[in-house]
Amino acid sequence: MNVMFEPFVDVVPSFFGTLAQGPLTLTIFLHTLIVLPMFWIYRQEKARLEQEG
Amino acid sequence: MAKKSVWSDNRFWQRSAGWVTGVASVLLMWLTFDTIPQITLGTDADLENGVTKRVPGPTVINYKITYEMDKKRHHEVPVIGGANAEGKSSFQEKEKFFGRDDWSEEEARALLRLGKLGSQAKNCMNCHTLLGNGAYYAPDLTKAWLDPAWGPNGPMQAMTGKNTKEEAMAEFLQFPSQYPTHARMMPNLGITAEEAKGLVAFLKHMSSIDTNGFPRNFGKIEGAVHGK
Amino acid sequence: MANSHLKYESKKLATWYFTFAAIIFGAQLLFGLVAAIQYVMPSFMFEVVDFSVARMIHINALVVWMVFAMFGSVYWLLPDETGIETVGVGIGKLLFWAFAAAIVVVVLVYLFIQVGPADETTIWFIHEGREYIEAPRWADFAIVVVALGFVANLYMTGIKGNRSGIVTVLMADMIAFSGLYLTGMFYTDNISMDQFWWWWVIHLWVEATWEVFVGALAAYGLITMIGAHRKVVEMWLWIEVAMLFGSGILGMGHHYFWIGTPEYWWEIGALFSALEPLPLVAMFIHVLYDWGKMQGQEDAKGLEQSVITNKPAFTWFILNAFGNFLGAGIWGFFHTLPQVNLYTHGTQFTSAHGHLAFFGAYATILIGMMYLGVQGKNGIKIMRHTKSSIWATSMIFGGVLGMTMALTIAGYADFIISRAQWGATWEGYFAGQSGVWYLQGMNWRLIMGVVTFIGFLFLVKDLLSTGRAAHHER
Ligand code: HEM
Ligand code: HEM
Ligand SMILES: [Fe+2]
Repeated sequence: MNVMFEPFVDVVPSFFGTLAQGPLTLTIFLHTLIVLPMFWIYRQEKARLEQEG
Repeated sequence: MAKKSVWSDNRFWQRSAGWVTGVASVLLMWLTFDTIPQITLGTDADLENGVTKRVPGPTVINYKITYEMDKKRHHEVPVIGGANAEGKSSFQEKEKFFGRDDWSEEEARALLRLGKLGSQAKNCMNCHTLLGNGAYYAPDLTKAWLDPAWGPNGPMQAMTGKNTKEEAMAEFLQFPSQYPTHARMMPNLGITAEEAKGLVAFLKHMSSIDTNGFPRNFGKIEGAVHGK
Repeated sequence: MANSHLKYESKKLATWYFTFAAIIFGAQLLFGLVAAIQYVMPSFMFEVVDFSVARMIHINALVVWMVFAMFGSVYWLLPDETGIETVGVGIGKLLFWAFAAAIVVVVLVYLFIQVGPADETTIWFIHEGREYIEAPRWADFAIVVVALGFVANLYMTGIKGNRSGIVTVLMADMIAFSGLYLTGMFYTDNISMDQFWWWWVIHLWVEATWEVFVGALAAYGLITMIGAHRKVVEMWLWIEVAMLFGSGILGMGHHYFWIGTPEYWWEIGALFSALEPLPLVAMFIHVLYDWGKMQGQEDAKGLEQSVITNKPAFTWFILNAFGNFLGAGIWGFFHTLPQVNLYTHGTQFTSAHGHLAFFGAYATILIGMMYLGVQGKNGIKIMRHTKSSIWATSMIFGGVLGMTMALTIAGYADFIISRAQWGATWEGYFAGQSGVWYLQGMNWRLIMGVVTFIGFLFLVKDLLSTGRAAHHER
C-alpha cells in the first residue's frame, strides 16, 4: 500500500507539491475544479431553455 | 417542436468559457503566489545556516559547487559546500573566487547584478541558452561553471593559460575570438575586465540554481558514443 | 486612388498596418537568412552583424510584424462587425505613425549599436537582451501607450456599435494581450524570476491570447468569405475560447520544468499543455466542416460555383487551420512532456516547433487578412488566385515546412548526441553540432529558407498587383 503514497522530496513543502502524489493526482484535482462546476451551468441553461421553449 | 439542446446553445458556451478562463487564471495566480517565494533569491544567512534554497543568495560564489545525483529526487541537484552524510549540501567547503572566499553580501550582490546586466547588455541569450532558454548557436550556459572543460585539466583552462577556472572564463569572455575552439566562434562583445568578473559570478550563481535535474548527466559522460 | 473603395477610415488605417507589417516581415526573413548562413558558414559577417544581432532582429521583427498585422486586422473587421466607424480612428492613425517610427528607431539601434555596457542604460536605450521582447525600455513605454490607445478604440467602438460575439471575444482578449506585456517590463538580478515572468508574456501570448485572437479572425473569415452562419460560428468560437484558455493558461507549466521552479510544475505543465492541441484540432475541423457545409448548400441549389469570395485569403485561412494544428499541436506535443523535454529543451527541435508554430498559427492567417485588405481596397466582389499568389502560397508554405523537417532531423542529432549521450557540456554541444544529420539539416534549412524568401517576393508582387488583375469579379 505504501507505494501509493510518496514522501515529499522537493525542496520546499507546499500544498501543490503534496497533492502531486504519483501520476496525475494534482492535475486531476485541478481539472476537476475547472470542469465539474460546468454541470451547474449546464443545468441552469437547460432550465432556462425549457422555460423559453 | 424539437427541444433545443444545451450543447448547441451559445449562452451555455459563453458562460462556460468565462468560467473556465476565470478559474484557470485564479489557479495560475495561486500557483504564482506559491512559486515566487520558492524562487526568490536566498541570503547569506541561509548559506551560513545551512538552509537549502532553489535559488541561493549571491554569496554562493564563496562556496564549492558540484552537481550530484539526489537519491530521493532521482535526478541531479547542485550541492553547495560539499555533501553531508545524506548527500545534501553541507555548506561547509569554501572555494576561492578571484582569490577570495569572503565576498560580503553587498559585494557579491553587486557582482551578480553586474553579471546579470552584462548578460542582457551583451545579448548572451541570442546565441546561448540560459536555463535552456534562448538560442541554439552556442552551448547551454546553465551549468557552464561546472563544465569539466573549464576545470583544472580541461582544454579551455589550458588554452587561456590561466590557473583558475574563474580567471580562465573571464579571459575568454574578454577576448573570445582569440581563443577559438571551433569554426563557430564567439564574437568580441566589448566585455571589460570588470564586466567579465561579474559575468563569471553570474554563471557560478546560475550553476547553483536547483533546475530539477536539467541538464541530465551534465559532465558525467565524456563521449559515450562518438557524434558522427 | 483605389482607396476610394474603402468607406471606413478604420479600414484605411488597417491597410497601413498591413503594409508596414509586410515590410517588417521581409526584414524578418532577410535576417533569418543571415543567421541561417552563419550556421553553415560561421565566418559570414562575423563581428559585423553577428548571429546574436541577426537573430535578435529576426525574432523581434517577427513579433512586431505580427502585432502590427493583428492591430490592422481589428481595425479592418470592426466596421463590419459593429456597423459603425471606429471611434477614435484619428488617434489610431497618430498612434500608427508613433508605433512605426519607434520600431524603425529600435531596429536601427539593434543593427548599428548592437551591444552596450553592463548597466541600465543599455536596457533603457539599446535592448533588453531577452528573446522576443528585446525592445529597450523606452520603446516598451511607447508600445504600452499605443496598445492602450488601440484597446480604448476597440472598447469605445464595441460599446457604441453592435457588439457581436466576435467583438466581445476580441475585447476580452486584447486587454489581456496588452496587459500581459507589462509582466515583461522589469529588471531583476534573479535569472529564475526573470524567466518566470518572461514566459508570462511569451507563452500567454502565443498559447492563449493570440490563439483566441486567431479563433476570432477565423470566425470573421468564415462569415465574410463563405457566408457561414454567425450563430454556429460564434458557438464554435466560445467553445474554442473555453478549450484554449482552459488548457493554455496552466499549460504554461511546460516552461517551468527546469528554470528553478518547483517540481509540481512537471505535472501541471505536462497535463494541461498536453490538452492544448485539442482546440487546435477543433478549429481545423470547424473550418473544413463549415466550408463543406456551405459548399454543399450551394451545390444543392444546383449552382456550380464556389462559395468562396476570396480565394487567396481563404487558402491562407485553410493553411492556418492546418498549420496551427500541425506546428503548435503536433510539434508542440512532441516535446511537451517533461520526460521528453528534459532532453529536447533548448535544442534545434525547439526551433523546428517555433518555426512551424509561429508560421502556421499566425503568419498564415495574417497574410490572409492582408488579402482581404487588398480585396476591399480595390472593390473586388470575388477575388481569384493569380499565378503569383499560387507560387507565393506554395513556396512559402513548402519552404517553412521544409525548414521544419530539416530542423527536426537536425534536432534529433542535436539532442541525442549532445544531450542524451554527452550530457550537455561544451564538448558535447559541439559533438552534436558536427553530426552528419545535423550538418545536412542545417544546409537543407538554408535551402528551404531561400525557397521561403522567394515565395515572399512573389507574395509582395501579388499583393501589389493583384488588385488590378482583370479576372476578378468586381
Ligand atoms: C527565410 C526563412 C527563415 C530562415 C532562414 C530562418 C532562420 C532562423 C534562424 C537561423 C534562427 C535562429 C535559431 C537558433 O537560435 O539557433 C531562427 C529563429 C526563429 N525563427 Fe526563423 N527563419 C526563417 C523564417 C521564419 C519564419 C517564417 C518564422 C515564423 C513565422 C520564423 C520564426 C522563428 C522563431 C520563432 C525563431 C526562434 C526559435 C526558437 O528560439 O526556438 N522564422 N530562424
Ligand atoms: C501557436 C502556438 C504556439 C507557438 C507560436 C509556439 C511557439 C514556441 C516557441 C517560439 C518556442 C521556443 C521558445 C524559445 O525560444 O525558447 C516554444 C517552446 C515550446 N512550446 Fe510552443 N508554441 C505554440 C504552441 C505550443 C503548444 C500547443 C505546445 C504543446 C502542446 C507547445 C509546447 C512547447 C514547449 C514544450 C516548448 C519548450 C521547448 C523547450 O523546452 O525548449 N507549444 N513554443
Ligand atoms: Fe508554451
